[in-house]
Amino acid sequence: MFRGQAVPANQIHDFHPPIAPSGLYWVVPVPKGGLSISADGSTFTLEMENVAVVDQPRWPALDSIATPARMSFKMVWKSTGEPVKYEDASKHLRFTGTRATCQLEAQVEVPAIGFSWKSDALNTSKADFAVVGEEVNGRYYDV
Amino acid sequence: MNQTNSCRVCSRREILKVGALTLLPLAVPSAVYALGEETPMTANGAADPYPIPWLDKNGSHNQPAGPNLEPSHIYHFKGRVARCSTFTGMGTDNQGNRIAFGSPTTDYGVMQGEYWAARTTQQGTFTHI
Repeated sequence: MFRGQAVPANQIHDFHPPIAPSGLYWVVPVPKGGLSISADGSTFTLEMENVAVVDQPRWPALDSIATPARMSFKMVWKSTGEPVKYEDASKHLRFTGTRATCQLEAQVEVPAIGFSWKSDALNTSKADFAVVGEEVNGRYYDV
Repeated sequence: MNQTNSCRVCSRREILKVGALTLLPLAVPSAVYALGEETPMTANGAADPYPIPWLDKNGSHNQPAGPNLEPSHIYHFKGRVARCSTFTGMGTDNQGNRIAFGSPTTDYGVMQGEYWAARTTQQGTFTHI
Protein backbone atom coordinates (compact mmCIF):
# COMPACT_ATOMS: atom_id res chain seq x y z
CA MET A 1 0.00 0.00 0.00
CA PHE A 2 1.20 3.43 -0.88
CA ARG A 3 0.41 6.91 0.26
CA GLY A 4 0.58 8.75 -3.03
CA GLN A 5 2.50 7.39 -5.98
CA ALA A 6 3.46 3.67 -5.92
CA VAL A 7 7.19 4.12 -5.30
CA PRO A 8 9.24 2.51 -2.48
CA ALA A 9 9.55 5.78 -0.55
CA ASN A 10 5.73 6.01 -0.31
CA GLN A 11 5.15 2.42 0.84
CA ILE A 12 3.26 2.35 4.15
CA HIS A 13 2.26 -1.33 4.39
CA ASP A 14 3.30 -4.62 2.77
CA PHE A 15 1.27 -7.71 3.61
CA HIS A 16 2.43 -11.25 2.95
CA PRO A 17 2.98 -14.58 4.74
CA PRO A 18 6.40 -15.06 6.34
CA ILE A 19 9.05 -16.89 4.32
CA ALA A 20 9.12 -20.54 5.49
CA PRO A 21 12.26 -22.02 7.08
CA SER A 22 12.64 -24.08 3.86
CA GLY A 23 12.78 -20.88 1.83
CA LEU A 24 9.29 -21.39 0.41
CA TYR A 25 8.38 -17.83 -0.42
CA TRP A 26 5.14 -16.25 0.78
CA VAL A 27 3.19 -19.47 0.18
CA VAL A 28 0.36 -20.79 2.33
CA PRO A 29 -1.95 -23.79 1.91
CA VAL A 30 -5.41 -23.10 0.53
CA PRO A 31 -8.17 -24.69 2.63
CA LYS A 32 -10.49 -27.15 0.93
CA GLY A 33 -12.99 -25.24 -1.19
CA GLY A 34 -10.85 -22.09 -1.25
CA LEU A 35 -10.07 -22.49 -4.94
CA SER A 36 -12.73 -23.19 -7.52
CA ILE A 37 -11.93 -23.74 -11.19
CA SER A 38 -14.63 -23.69 -13.84
CA ALA A 39 -15.24 -26.94 -15.72
CA ASP A 40 -13.51 -25.61 -18.84
CA GLY A 41 -10.52 -24.38 -16.82
CA SER A 42 -10.98 -20.79 -17.93
CA THR A 43 -11.92 -19.18 -14.60
CA PHE A 44 -10.04 -19.53 -11.31
CA THR A 45 -11.65 -18.09 -8.17
CA LEU A 46 -9.57 -18.00 -5.01
CA GLU A 47 -11.20 -16.93 -1.78
CA MET A 48 -9.64 -17.04 1.69
CA GLU A 49 -10.47 -15.50 5.05
CA ASN A 50 -8.30 -14.43 7.97
CA VAL A 51 -5.02 -15.63 6.51
CA ALA A 52 -2.18 -15.10 8.99
CA VAL A 53 0.25 -12.68 7.36
CA VAL A 54 2.74 -10.06 8.48
CA ASP A 55 2.92 -6.38 7.71
CA GLN A 56 6.46 -5.35 6.72
CA PRO A 57 6.24 -1.72 5.61
CA ARG A 58 9.96 -1.52 4.88
CA TRP A 59 10.15 -4.76 2.85
CA PRO A 60 12.59 -5.82 1.35
CA ALA A 61 14.97 -4.31 3.92
CA LEU A 62 16.51 -7.17 5.91
CA ASP A 63 15.70 -5.43 9.21
CA SER A 64 12.11 -4.66 8.24
CA ILE A 65 9.94 -5.25 11.31
CA ALA A 66 7.13 -7.80 10.79
CA THR A 67 3.86 -7.13 12.64
CA PRO A 68 1.25 -9.92 12.72
CA ALA A 69 -1.77 -9.17 10.55
CA ARG A 70 -4.77 -10.87 8.96
CA MET A 71 -5.88 -10.78 5.36
CA SER A 72 -9.09 -11.85 3.62
CA PHE A 73 -9.42 -11.69 -0.12
CA LYS A 74 -11.14 -12.83 -3.29
CA MET A 75 -9.25 -13.07 -6.57
CA VAL A 76 -10.69 -14.00 -9.95
CA TRP A 77 -8.68 -14.97 -13.03
CA LYS A 78 -10.48 -15.21 -16.39
CA SER A 79 -8.79 -16.60 -19.46
CA THR A 80 -8.71 -14.43 -22.57
CA GLY A 81 -8.14 -17.50 -24.74
CA GLU A 82 -4.83 -16.24 -26.11
CA PRO A 83 -2.39 -19.15 -25.91
CA VAL A 84 0.87 -18.88 -23.98
CA LYS A 85 3.72 -21.35 -23.61
CA TYR A 86 6.85 -20.90 -21.51
CA GLU A 87 9.49 -23.60 -21.60
CA ASP A 88 13.01 -23.58 -20.22
CA ALA A 89 14.74 -26.95 -20.41
CA SER A 90 17.68 -25.68 -18.37
CA LYS A 91 15.32 -24.91 -15.51
CA HIS A 92 13.13 -27.96 -16.10
CA LEU A 93 9.91 -25.98 -16.40
CA ARG A 94 7.06 -25.98 -18.90
CA PHE A 95 3.93 -23.83 -18.63
CA THR A 96 1.09 -24.16 -21.12
CA GLY A 97 -1.93 -21.92 -20.80
CA THR A 98 -3.51 -18.67 -21.82
CA ARG A 99 -3.32 -15.02 -20.97
CA ALA A 100 -5.95 -13.88 -18.49
CA THR A 101 -7.41 -10.98 -16.62
CA CYS A 102 -7.25 -10.87 -12.84
CA GLN A 103 -9.13 -8.80 -10.30
CA LEU A 104 -8.85 -8.63 -6.55
CA GLU A 105 -10.77 -7.42 -3.54
CA ALA A 106 -9.24 -7.66 -0.09
CA GLN A 107 -9.29 -6.47 3.46
CA VAL A 108 -6.47 -6.43 5.99
CA GLU A 109 -6.17 -5.83 9.71
CA VAL A 110 -3.15 -5.12 11.89
CA PRO A 111 -4.54 -5.33 15.46
CA ALA A 112 -1.32 -4.20 17.17
CA ILE A 113 -1.48 -0.77 15.56
CA GLY A 114 -5.26 -0.52 15.22
CA PHE A 115 -5.12 -0.40 11.43
CA SER A 116 -7.57 -1.90 9.00
CA TRP A 117 -8.23 -1.35 5.32
CA LYS A 118 -10.76 -2.55 2.80
CA SER A 119 -10.45 -2.37 -0.94
CA ASP A 120 -13.09 -1.11 -3.29
CA ALA A 121 -15.17 -3.72 -5.12
CA LEU A 122 -13.49 -6.47 -7.15
CA ASN A 123 -14.40 -4.99 -10.51
CA THR A 124 -12.54 -1.73 -9.76
CA SER A 125 -9.10 -3.39 -9.63
CA LYS A 126 -6.94 -4.66 -12.44
CA ALA A 127 -3.72 -6.57 -13.06
CA ASP A 128 -1.53 -5.75 -16.07
CA PHE A 129 -0.27 -9.33 -16.30
CA ALA A 130 -2.10 -12.61 -15.72
CA VAL A 131 -2.00 -16.17 -17.00
CA VAL A 132 -3.82 -19.42 -16.24
CA GLY A 133 -2.82 -22.89 -17.27
CA GLU A 134 -0.86 -25.99 -16.38
CA GLU A 135 2.77 -26.38 -15.40
CA VAL A 136 5.29 -29.13 -14.84
CA ASN A 137 8.67 -28.49 -13.27
CA GLY A 138 11.51 -30.25 -11.49
CA ARG A 139 11.33 -34.03 -11.46
CA TYR A 140 8.04 -33.98 -13.41
CA TYR A 141 9.56 -32.14 -16.37
CA ASP A 142 11.19 -35.21 -17.93
CA VAL A 143 8.45 -37.69 -17.07
CA MET B 1 59.33 -27.55 28.99
CA ASN B 2 57.97 -28.73 32.30
CA GLN B 3 55.03 -31.04 31.59
CA THR B 4 52.52 -31.96 34.31
CA ASN B 5 50.06 -34.83 34.60
CA SER B 6 46.81 -33.92 36.37
CA CYS B 7 46.31 -37.53 37.54
CA ARG B 8 49.82 -38.53 38.26
CA VAL B 9 48.58 -40.04 41.52
CA CYS B 10 44.96 -41.26 41.26
CA SER B 11 43.19 -42.65 44.27
CA ARG B 12 40.99 -45.76 44.05
CA ARG B 13 37.91 -43.58 44.84
CA GLU B 14 38.71 -41.26 41.89
CA ILE B 15 39.10 -44.22 39.53
CA LEU B 16 35.70 -45.65 40.60
CA LYS B 17 34.03 -42.23 40.15
CA VAL B 18 35.38 -41.84 36.62
CA GLY B 19 34.35 -45.40 35.76
CA ALA B 20 30.77 -44.83 36.87
CA LEU B 21 30.49 -41.61 34.85
CA THR B 22 31.85 -43.42 31.79
CA LEU B 23 29.05 -46.00 31.99
CA LEU B 24 26.26 -43.38 32.33
CA PRO B 25 25.83 -42.60 28.59
CA LEU B 26 25.44 -46.29 27.86
CA ALA B 27 22.50 -46.50 30.24
CA VAL B 28 20.58 -43.42 29.00
CA PRO B 29 20.03 -44.40 25.32
CA SER B 30 18.22 -47.58 26.27
CA ALA B 31 15.70 -45.48 28.19
CA VAL B 32 15.26 -43.17 25.17
CA TYR B 33 14.69 -46.08 22.80
CA ALA B 34 12.13 -47.55 25.19
CA LEU B 35 10.11 -44.31 24.99
CA GLY B 36 10.48 -44.21 21.20
CA GLU B 37 8.90 -47.63 20.82
CA GLU B 38 5.53 -46.11 21.79
CA THR B 39 5.51 -43.66 18.85
CA PRO B 40 7.09 -45.13 15.71
CA MET B 41 8.19 -42.46 13.29
CA THR B 42 9.75 -42.04 9.88
CA ALA B 43 12.41 -39.54 8.93
CA ASN B 44 11.61 -38.73 5.30
CA GLY B 45 11.49 -34.95 5.56
CA ALA B 46 8.51 -32.64 5.72
CA ALA B 47 5.54 -32.91 3.35
CA ASP B 48 5.79 -29.16 2.68
CA PRO B 49 6.55 -28.27 -0.95
CA TYR B 50 10.05 -27.45 -2.12
CA PRO B 51 10.65 -23.82 -3.07
CA ILE B 52 11.64 -23.01 -6.63
CA PRO B 53 15.46 -22.90 -6.86
CA TRP B 54 15.67 -19.53 -8.62
CA LEU B 55 16.46 -16.45 -6.57
CA ASP B 56 15.05 -12.99 -7.21
CA LYS B 57 17.05 -9.77 -6.88
CA ASN B 58 16.41 -9.77 -3.12
CA GLY B 59 17.80 -13.29 -2.66
CA SER B 60 14.42 -14.99 -2.15
CA HIS B 61 13.21 -18.21 -3.82
CA ASN B 62 10.91 -16.19 -6.00
CA GLN B 63 10.46 -15.01 -9.57
CA PRO B 64 8.51 -11.97 -10.68
CA ALA B 65 5.36 -12.72 -12.65
CA GLY B 66 5.89 -12.20 -16.34
CA PRO B 67 6.42 -13.77 -19.75
CA ASN B 68 8.87 -16.68 -19.78
CA LEU B 69 9.30 -16.60 -16.01
CA GLU B 70 8.51 -19.48 -13.65
CA PRO B 71 4.82 -19.09 -12.73
CA SER B 72 4.90 -21.57 -9.84
CA HIS B 73 6.48 -21.01 -6.42
CA ILE B 74 6.66 -24.78 -5.82
CA TYR B 75 9.30 -26.99 -7.38
CA HIS B 76 8.84 -30.66 -8.34
CA PHE B 77 5.25 -29.79 -9.19
CA LYS B 78 2.69 -30.60 -11.85
CA GLY B 79 -0.77 -29.12 -11.94
CA ARG B 80 -2.84 -26.04 -12.52
CA VAL B 81 -1.38 -22.59 -12.02
CA ALA B 82 -2.70 -19.05 -12.14
CA ARG B 83 -0.41 -16.04 -11.83
CA CYS B 84 -0.82 -12.27 -11.92
CA SER B 85 1.00 -9.06 -11.12
CA THR B 86 1.10 -5.29 -11.42
CA PHE B 87 -2.15 -4.60 -9.63
CA THR B 88 -3.80 -1.25 -9.32
CA GLY B 89 -6.73 -0.54 -7.06
CA MET B 90 -8.02 1.63 -4.26
CA GLY B 91 -9.36 1.16 -0.78
CA THR B 92 -10.22 2.93 2.46
CA ASP B 93 -8.66 2.55 5.91
CA ASN B 94 -10.46 2.68 9.25
CA GLN B 95 -9.74 6.43 9.48
CA GLY B 96 -11.49 7.07 6.20
CA ASN B 97 -8.27 7.68 4.27
CA ARG B 98 -8.24 6.62 0.66
CA ILE B 99 -5.16 4.42 0.14
CA ALA B 100 -4.06 2.86 -3.14
CA PHE B 101 -2.76 -0.68 -3.37
CA GLY B 102 -0.65 -2.38 -5.97
CA SER B 103 2.64 -1.87 -7.76
CA PRO B 104 4.61 -3.69 -10.48
CA THR B 105 5.76 -6.15 -7.79
CA THR B 106 2.30 -6.79 -6.32
CA ASP B 107 1.84 -10.35 -7.50
CA TYR B 108 -0.20 -13.39 -6.58
CA GLY B 109 -0.40 -17.00 -7.66
CA VAL B 110 -2.19 -20.24 -6.98
CA MET B 111 -1.01 -23.80 -7.58
CA GLN B 112 -3.13 -26.94 -7.38
CA GLY B 113 -1.93 -30.43 -8.12
CA GLU B 114 0.75 -32.98 -7.38
CA TYR B 115 4.12 -32.19 -5.85
CA TRP B 116 7.03 -34.20 -4.58
CA ALA B 117 8.01 -34.02 -0.92
CA ALA B 118 8.92 -36.40 1.89
CA ARG B 119 10.17 -38.84 -0.77
CA THR B 120 6.75 -39.40 -2.31
CA THR B 121 3.91 -37.71 -4.19
CA GLN B 122 1.65 -35.26 -2.37
CA GLN B 123 -1.54 -33.44 -3.36
CA GLY B 124 -2.31 -29.89 -2.41
CA THR B 125 -3.44 -26.38 -3.21
CA PHE B 126 -1.23 -23.44 -2.31
CA THR B 127 -1.25 -19.73 -2.90
CA HIS B 128 1.50 -17.17 -3.15
CA ILE B 129 0.18 -13.91 -1.71
